[in-house]
Amino acid sequence: MTIDTAVAEPTTAHVTPAPRGRRRGRLAFVNLAAAVVVTAGVLYAAFMPAGPLPALGPAFNPVTGAWTMAADAQDTDRTVKLAGLEQPVTVLLERDGTAHITAQSDHDLFLSTGYVHARFRLFQMDLLRRQGAGRLSEIVGKDALDTDRFELQLGLLRTAQAEWKALPTDDPSRAALLAYAQGVNDRISEAEATHQLDAMFTLLGYEPRPWTPVDSLLVKGDMTQTLSFNDVPIEMALLSKSLGADLAADWFPVMPPNAQSPYDPGPYAAHAPAPIAATAEVGHAEAQTASALYQKIASLPASLFETNGASNNWAVSGSKSASGGALLAGDPHLHLTLPSIWFQLTTDSPNYHTAGVSIPGTPVVLLGHNQHIAWSLTNGENQQIFYYQEKEDAAHPDQYFWKGTWNKYQTVGYDIPVLGGATQHITVKLSVHGPVISDRGLTTTVWWAGNIPSQDLGVMLRVGQSAGWQDFRNALRGWYSPTQNFVYADDQGNIGLISAGYYPQVAKGQPWLPMSGTGEYDVAGTIPYDDIPQVYNPKDGIIWSANQRQVTADYPYYIGTALHFANGYRANEIHRVLSAPGKLSATDMQALQTDTRDYLASEIVPVLLQTLSQSQLSATEGAAADVLRDWTSYRMDADSSAATIWSWFWSSYVDEVFGPWWRSRAVGVDINEVFETLGQDLEAWTLGDRTNRTFSAPGVGARTAVEAQQAAFRDAITLLTRSLGPDPRKWSWGRVHQRELVNLAAGSLSYGPRPDRGDANTPLAAPDFPSSDGPSWRMVVDWGTHNFQGVYPGGQSENPASTWYDNHVDTWWDGLLNPMLNAGAAAGTSGVKTWSMQP
Amino acid sequence: MRLYGSVLLAALLALTGVLFGLWWAPFVVGLAVPVVARRARLALPIGAAIGLFSWLVPLAAGEVRYGLGPTTQSLAAVMGFGRTGAVPVVLTLVVGTLLGLAGAWLASAAWAVVVGDARVDALRNE
Repeated sequence: MTIDTAVAEPTTAHVTPAPRGRRRGRLAFVNLAAAVVVTAGVLYAAFMPAGPLPALGPAFNPVTGAWTMAADAQDTDRTVKLAGLEQPVTVLLERDGTAHITAQSDHDLFLSTGYVHARFRLFQMDLLRRQGAGRLSEIVGKDALDTDRFELQLGLLRTAQAEWKALPTDDPSRAALLAYAQGVNDRISEAEATHQLDAMFTLLGYEPRPWTPVDSLLVKGDMTQTLSFNDVPIEMALLSKSLGADLAADWFPVMPPNAQSPYDPGPYAAHAPAPIAATAEVGHAEAQTASALYQKIASLPASLFETNGASNNWAVSGSKSASGGALLAGDPHLHLTLPSIWFQLTTDSPNYHTAGVSIPGTPVVLLGHNQHIAWSLTNGENQQIFYYQEKEDAAHPDQYFWKGTWNKYQTVGYDIPVLGGATQHITVKLSVHGPVISDRGLTTTVWWAGNIPSQDLGVMLRVGQSAGWQDFRNALRGWYSPTQNFVYADDQGNIGLISAGYYPQVAKGQPWLPMSGTGEYDVAGTIPYDDIPQVYNPKDGIIWSANQRQVTADYPYYIGTALHFANGYRANEIHRVLSAPGKLSATDMQALQTDTRDYLASEIVPVLLQTLSQSQLSATEGAAADVLRDWTSYRMDADSSAATIWSWFWSSYVDEVFGPWWRSRAVGVDINEVFETLGQDLEAWTLGDRTNRTFSAPGVGARTAVEAQQAAFRDAITLLTRSLGPDPRKWSWGRVHQRELVNLAAGSLSYGPRPDRGDANTPLAAPDFPSSDGPSWRMVVDWGTHNFQGVYPGGQSENPASTWYDNHVDTWWDGLLNPMLNAGAAAGTSGVKTWSMQP
Repeated sequence: MRLYGSVLLAALLALTGVLFGLWWAPFVVGLAVPVVARRARLALPIGAAIGLFSWLVPLAAGEVRYGLGPTTQSLAAVMGFGRTGAVPVVLTLVVGTLLGLAGAWLASAAWAVVVGDARVDALRNE
């Protein structure tokens, strides 16, 4: 009997009633029990998230679930009613999604910017503020707990709150932040009412809370952290302990060991040079503490920390440009993501006329131009972080010794909600230096310039209003962290570069190591603004920065060690190209941005070939040497086999020379993290000190650079033969070197990996395998022709179903640029959509 | 005809609920199915069909209005199924179907228990 017949069959008087009825009754109950169980299961799956799965009902229903992604991807003319607008605003969206906002008041401009950002990037904005506020666990669970704890310890939230509190009520940036937040919230309300929230909210099962000005400051804090928070002193302590102070100072010196191209050659203000002491011995307790902290930081996502920069910018004065007007080029290199960190727009209101890219979550154009000036940034890389080991005593619990007295740590408590788990509570302790970042071993606190409240958004508003160099330079006086190389070019043919930011100076001690927190080694001030690296209208008509040390050895202040700054090869290459005789054009700028010439290779390969010419080589090694011999361009192009041989040789060479030291001394720092600095040492010794003691590594006996090169070349060719086959002519760079743009939410939505050109040393930088760092925005400005061009890898929308999700990638990949139109010119192009925003 | 009419009305009711954001409407409407189709053999398919219908129609409308190709691929990618766009479509329709089916089955089974007990009582009293 089936379940339904038990229900439906008519009873008859001829059947013995009681046993049959009981059986039917039992079956009916079994049926009901099964129905209850299955229904409970269906309803549970429909209403409740389970593990990585969202609640299926709200997530996948076709009207209010993730399918709204399809409607959200439509780009149409619209009329939008926005609470808080004072007067109508027009938003034009070009065919490629570039936004042009024209408002009749500054307030309306910032409100509309908030609305437009949120319309296209709300989920990204929410992630950014959650990262800074230590609230990622709330939406992704315990996997993000360590990150949240670290962020709350570090204090981005405290800094953002302090910055907001310190903003005077009549400050224009306060009004901008408030209006911007209102615009974001207008969009959140609209999206919730029309079920148009980004699908990721639906899939993760939460709704964004209202946006506040502190959230914008948190987003700014995220960028500050990514660009200036590092653990160099911790690494240096471990290196010094394991290698000994002598070798550590030799290999990781304050001044770069190789020849570089600082943009500010001096002369400098007539101050006495700050004394640079030899690196001190690091004690056992200090080293153990450093090791614990190093491992803690290593376990956190790399994107939270400063990595070796690869950004470029430069300017050419009107006297050296083909058009007669100043040229400016900028390509800041960051982690390449989809959506991109940038959103392209122009903003027009009574007091602001700027064009360029902004960071969603903030109301300003960070890189771009106005009617008179253009600017771009690279990371300054100077040391803005110091670690202090606090003196404690069991007789003084929860206190630290500073300037002769015992002081109580301040404490701040935070609750961290965790998806699928109990809310976690952490208590952050603060000394006068900053937050306690580790209490394993000696208690370590961190002084970080990024924790000093600063009004960077206000600075950028003033930069956007600048009409000339003095306005620009005065505006940047208030920029503290991260230190940025601000390149400048104006419509009068002038160029300039200033590395704005704090350059903290300690009263004494060795700031490249963790220092005692007892007071003698505290930060005593910063380099005066007039003394920081800067140039204006240099005689040769060119200025460039590529994260290199900005100044020469004559500069009288300490600003960081070779571990802090980039290795200088990109700067050298850019300087080489710009300083060649003849005039330069915007096309030359564009070509230099995609230059794949490896400056280091141009120095070392001739030396290597000389070595190989005196060596016994196998057939494959000989063929590889021939490939290298024909490689006179030194370009890391995707189809170049020589590029592969060179890259493998160089890695092998560094490992051949330093690997035995690393192994014999049990160095607790990943050699890859200091690879760039070791490479500079090796470059300098290969070119000028071939018998340096380092070549005679423990276990390999006495040798020179020549023997090390021979061994490294053999190893490289063996490795390549094993992985790519026996014919060196087929070892094209693109086979081993790819680039990808990583989606923030799902790997399958990433772009690539695709074979691509460049390496860590080329102006078109592409470090790592695959590489996911690179030029996050390229801009070329020619004031002579008033031609502005730019492109970033990605698209304006975070919605992967939108045509504006990754529509700029191919243009960017091919090294091309898009015209940066103003609103008037954009209105005349085809395919423009218009949003009429009404109060 | 009366059955067909009732089923159609129920389906439209569920669809209206879904269109107004009440994505669980097929379950509630499914609970009422045994009122018009007491035999489980009939009630369960009807409940499932109502669930399928009320989630399929808006999905089909989305396809007509916007084209769902990029969306299906994106959702599949977010869910970890690469670019296999059929997965979210099937998942969506399965959820809708199960909601209607579960409602109809639960009500039908409960109905059977109530009616069955009444019949046994009636037989005992004879």
